[in-house]
Amino acid sequence: MFPAIESLAMTFPTLLADKNADFWFPIQGSSFAEEVDWVYDLILYISLAFFVPMMAFMVWCLFKYIKARGTKAESQISHHTTLELTWSIGPSVLLVWMFVQGSISFLDMRTPPEGSYDVGVQAFKWGWTMDYGNGTFHPELHIVKDEPTKLSMRSTDVIHSLFVPAFRAKKDIVPGRYNYMWFKPTVASEQISDEALAKLKKQSEGATWDYDKVHTIETEDGERELQVTPEGYTFFDLYCTEYCGKNHSEMQTVVVVHETQAELEAWIKANSSRGDVSMEEWGELLYARRGCSGCHSVDGSKLVGPSFLDVYGSQHALTTGENQLVDENYIRESILAPKAKVVAGYQPVMPSYKGQLSDDDIASIIAYLKSISANAPTQPAGAEAESDEESAE
Amino acid sequence: MSNATLPAGARDPGYPTERENYLTNSSGILSWMFTLDHKRIGLMYLIGVMSAFAVGGLLALAIRLHLLDPNGWMFSGAEANNIYNQVFTLHGAIMVFLFIIPSIPAALGNFLVPVMLGAKDVGFPRLNLSSFYLWVFGALFFVTALFSSGLDTGWTFYTPYSTTTDTSVILATLGAFILGFSSIFTGLNFIVTINTMRPPGMTWFKMPLFLWATYATSIIQVLATPVLGITLLLLIAERTMHIGIFDPEFNGDPVTYQHFFWFYSHPAVYIMILPAFGIISELISVHSHKHIFGYRFIAYSSIAIALLGFLVWGHHMFTAGMSSLTTIVFSALTFTVSVPSAIKVFNWLATMYKGSISLTTPMCYAISFIFLFTIGGLTGLFLGTLATDLHLHDTYFVVAHFHYVMVGGTLIAFLGGVFHWWPKMVGKLYNETHGRIAALLVFLGFNGTFLPQFVLGSRGMPRRYATYDPEFATLHQLSTFGALLLGIGLLYAFVVLMVSLIKGRRAPANPWGGVTLEWQCTSPPPYYNFERPPVVGDPYDFHNLEWDAENERYIMTEPERKLVPESTPEEVPAHAGGQK
Repeated sequence: MFPAIESLAMTFPTLLADKNADFWFPIQGSSFAEEVDWVYDLILYISLAFFVPMMAFMVWCLFKYIKARGTKAESQISHHTTLELTWSIGPSVLLVWMFVQGSISFLDMRTPPEGSYDVGVQAFKWGWTMDYGNGTFHPELHIVKDEPTKLSMRSTDVIHSLFVPAFRAKKDIVPGRYNYMWFKPTVASEQISDEALAKLKKQSEGATWDYDKVHTIETEDGERELQVTPEGYTFFDLYCTEYCGKNHSEMQTVVVVHETQAELEAWIKANSSRGDVSMEEWGELLYARRGCSGCHSVDGSKLVGPSFLDVYGSQHALTTGENQLVDENYIRESILAPKAKVVAGYQPVMPSYKGQLSDDDIASIIAYLKSISANAPTQPAGAEAESDEESAE
Repeated sequence: MSNATLPAGARDPGYPTERENYLTNSSGILSWMFTLDHKRIGLMYLIGVMSAFAVGGLLALAIRLHLLDPNGWMFSGAEANNIYNQVFTLHGAIMVFLFIIPSIPAALGNFLVPVMLGAKDVGFPRLNLSSFYLWVFGALFFVTALFSSGLDTGWTFYTPYSTTTDTSVILATLGAFILGFSSIFTGLNFIVTINTMRPPGMTWFKMPLFLWATYATSIIQVLATPVLGITLLLLIAERTMHIGIFDPEFNGDPVTYQHFFWFYSHPAVYIMILPAFGIISELISVHSHKHIFGYRFIAYSSIAIALLGFLVWGHHMFTAGMSSLTTIVFSALTFTVSVPSAIKVFNWLATMYKGSISLTTPMCYAISFIFLFTIGGLTGLFLGTLATDLHLHDTYFVVAHFHYVMVGGTLIAFLGGVFHWWPKMVGKLYNETHGRIAALLVFLGFNGTFLPQFVLGSRGMPRRYATYDPEFATLHQLSTFGALLLGIGLLYAFVVLMVSLIKGRRAPANPWGGVTLEWQCTSPPPYYNFERPPVVGDPYDFHNLEWDAENERYIMTEPERKLVPESTPEEVPAHAGGQK
């Protein structure tokens, strides 16, 4: 909007990090991006075509007509109907053009093509769960390049909004209804080499993976500054843009665009079931992946919900005043019907995971909680935990 | 004082004597608390809104300081995000409900409307006083909310977050509800005053444009504010009784709330900006000493904005999932509002052309208003256009846009108005040099704060984030330094005004050379505004204004009169019925 800024643009890219981005925009990652940027530039240039002459005229007036106090004005002309009609009607024509251009592109963005690849999205305070079907859930959004992708989105609590700046795509997720959006990614993520990834994993051992951290990585085209997922993919940022409470700004995830359908399917398969991983490890993975970590710490600190450290086998006072032993049954109930027995001092805000976690997943989470609790009995608990699983569903 | 240099027939009310003006004609705290004088109420409002602005401004600085660092600099600990959320919520709520909406209509409007109209007071002086106390009462609710359990919903109180959070939503919404009544009373009073209390000769098209703007604003205040009241009551009912209108858990629809809320709050944007247009029309004309260009177009465009403003609320919900047709219709309607706003800017520029411009402090604010409001208006086009709005909605681009309109527009106009009418209100002149330096600092600081935010937004930085990705750090830091400069500028302006109270020279009746009626009474005005009935003429006719260099003031001279021809007309016989 301000011409001088445009010239500053040359000095900025280094400060602005993202590669392939221009001054105004992040990288163009979807088929919408070019269109939106074009409309944006159209409005920008029309605006500048008005703004610059208007301000020049104002400054010129200031130089020319600043007079000593008491000087009479050169003219007292009070109106000029033709001139006024011209500057009312002229800009209106341009406005109609902007409106039409913007609406055409908008209709494109509102109409998903038939047969789009469909991913379910569940937004909650404060995280994302993407549903790939067949019981595969993951907080990251994985899609395929050049494949129209439709998101069927729902929220378990308050209004959220899904925004991928690189795709120029955004839609609110309103509880009580499904909202849909679609886009066609055009730029694939890169994958760094296994050795480089192994090195990064070693560096960040013991801490949660920091997506925002910029790593210097050796690639075929020399050293590059990259942000990568724990699996070594570069990514696009995905934000929640509708204010949703305490950790709104932490409600971020990433979009990974795979080169081919086969690659995506392989990734889904690798994330679909526990495989030969132990129950404790799988439970820990789910803890990170399914949004538990957003509200429950494992170091004893109090977040939105009680900490999971030493929780298994301990006694908790409930809001009803009763005491509750945290055992398999209670954990299971708290996952499927979280509002039934709420621990005193906490709000009943947890969404239900009913239908989203398999029995094996729940058992794995319980195993993980046992593994980080000093109160857990050394002997495995009785089999009664398994017996009423079906009735809880 | 010598009148030797003055032309014959000069009119100047001179200076008030000790007991002649509204500030001194009675004394004691009770004479202020129970005053029915619109000027005193206006002044009390001025002190009130300025205090609210100071609080809101400090919260804004806290927000900017927190965002110096991607992980948050100002607030720390486990509750850092919570504190940040409460700070930005209170910043927004205080600025909107306690400052911007009442600033110009209630503070300046109360002082100016009757004086500019040539009336002795507003139509309902007691209602006027009660509207001030309602404002105080509403403000107390906000303060109580702040000190009880805070408020973290954002100033928009979006459901279902607002019906489920455990902060003081009810206290704050009740506060806003009460403030709504204050706003309605002010609007009602102005409508009645302007309709019924115009003196002889003050026709609609002899009214100064500030009065047109105030009238248009009042229409919105009276028609739209009740909707906010109803919405807030429904919100409270939803929170306490789960009536199931807004909360999906009880079969309500959160988007309904947004429709209700913006049906008030979009017109409310014009409550904030229309009076600013009125002020700028006055400032540009008076300080250019030239007839305002296109008086009728400006007057009509105020009314047009007031009416069209009711039809565009849906543009806040382009991403919420309305039907495509509805979305496109709202986009089209949104563009219609931009035309009357553009007309005003063109008219102001044309007024400066061939004028005799004095670069006084109010004029500095007026030209910075034109610069900033034009940016604010043009960036609105990016948000009214659907394709670009989908990308920019709820990002810093929106934050920058509405601050350019609300702060760059309303606040700057308010400051310009305060400086313009300050000599009239308090009877003292301030130091022009310092006034201009402060105006320049405010202008630079403001642009430093909000220009980087346009880039932040189009690059994808979401709004209301307590922490952010490191790639946005540079732009955020630029913005924070701008905010610090803006804070210094505003403090400087405040000091200039306060110093004038102590050290300022006595103000003449007409220091700038305005032709509207308020410049025809003494500074400060007498209790009943005018010693003798003012002469109503064209409010922008500068022909009969003369500069009295000796006393540094402007004086009105008697309009030139056509002499009666010396020869008497031929006698017409009475029986001819006056016809030859």
